[in-house]
Amino acid sequence: MKVWVDEAACQGHGRCYAFAPDVFEADDQGHSIVLKAEVTPEHEAGARAGAENCPERAITVTED
Amino acid sequence: MDDNLESDPAMMLFSPEAADRPHVPYRYLLEKCPVARSDGGSVSGEPGGSVLISGFEDLHWAFKHPEYISSEEAVAIGNDRPLIPLQIDPPGHAKYRRLLDPQFSPKKMAALEPDFRVLVNQVIDTFIERGECDFHEDFATPIPSTFFLRLTGLPLTDLPVFLQWRDNIIRPDVAPGDFDAAAAIRADTGKQIYAYFESAFDEREAQRDDGLLSRLLDAEVEGMRLTREELLDICYLLIIAGLDTVTATLDCMIHRLATHPHERQRLVDDPSLSHAVVEELLRFETPVMVVARTVKQDVTLRDVELRAGDMVTMVIGAGNLDDVEFAHSDTVDFDRGRNRHLAFGAGPHRCLGSHLARLEVRVALEEWHRRIPNYRVADGADFHFSAGIRQANTLPLVFGDATS
Repeated sequence: MKVWVDEAACQGHGRCYAFAPDVFEADDQGHSIVLKAEVTPEHEAGARAGAENCPERAITVTED
Repeated sequence: MDDNLESDPAMMLFSPEAADRPHVPYRYLLEKCPVARSDGGSVSGEPGGSVLISGFEDLHWAFKHPEYISSEEAVAIGNDRPLIPLQIDPPGHAKYRRLLDPQFSPKKMAALEPDFRVLVNQVIDTFIERGECDFHEDFATPIPSTFFLRLTGLPLTDLPVFLQWRDNIIRPDVAPGDFDAAAAIRADTGKQIYAYFESAFDEREAQRDDGLLSRLLDAEVEGMRLTREELLDICYLLIIAGLDTVTATLDCMIHRLATHPHERQRLVDDPSLSHAVVEELLRFETPVMVVARTVKQDVTLRDVELRAGDMVTMVIGAGNLDDVEFAHSDTVDFDRGRNRHLAFGAGPHRCLGSHLARLEVRVALEEWHRRIPNYRVADGADFHFSAGIRQANTLPLVFGDATS
């Protein structure tokens, strides 16, 4: 699984790193940074939860 | 609902009883007119026409397109100049958010949690022995406003003044429909607010403290510091936003949990559920029912023509019940995996204080339920929620077994 955050769309709601601190983290402004674009199996549920709870729909996950 | 009200969606939404049972007008709007033109007044209470946007997708689009649906001219609450950052649209707005967002970031807020938890317990101590309280007056009002004053570094003795200003601005005490009197109260209060913060900044220019106001004095973006006017325009918005919305949110959530013991019991049994409880009740209760915008460029939404200058009422509470986005939207479900509610808005004007609000509401619910797991609304209690921002006028609770 791969995950990425559309920086232009992210507005710093902070839902993703609240759900999955191992996948996403906050910059100083509270906007999301992906820690590792390649998601390991144990973090897949967290990455998905981050995407599904982003009010901006700024997060994309792709299964591969 | 009577036929009269049904004829105009805005009248229905802003009627005195709507805030007690907002799902009734929300459903009507979603089913009959997700984008509606109305002559029944707007969120500010002013008469005249507005366009109501209620569907989730349309709200989402509108929040993200300030070049069409703008917040620049949307509210007049006694302020002389645009409120910062709310009434500055992109691109000018980014510089203010770069400066303000770090002051309200999740990391910054998390550092405040221990101190806030102590405050919540001190407030509970003031009434727990009585076995009853007026939740709105004794808990929901002092908690966010006391914490706001601590955060800004202003003296707690000024709290009554702040609460009076809040009421003057948001719910001016005038006869229904007397918009001139309301505007006069707001203008007079505005002058007092500006004067208060002028002198607060003067004091901190001379001697910095460790509060937010001093940090704003020293904050820089692109090598520029904020001007005195910019500082005042930020503070004006902060006191309105910081004093009122969390109080309303606590009123709405405790009322829900007081009247739905099985939901409350889940939180009591598993305090780690608090995050999910907060998010789901933000969605279901949507304490800030609506926010105001104006149309900046003509645009057609669902066959309704919006013209530049039109007032827009963004009915967030309806969007949060839209089946297009939320499965079983009418049900409170703490296990909802996906929850993209719009309670804090979206797009560039996403609520600046959302991380502070989430912290305050979550910790307040955790400590309340740890110490007062059983409570109910007092028999015969007569209370109502206010339209717009759903605050209870009073919320008498009795502690102890719900069945006793």
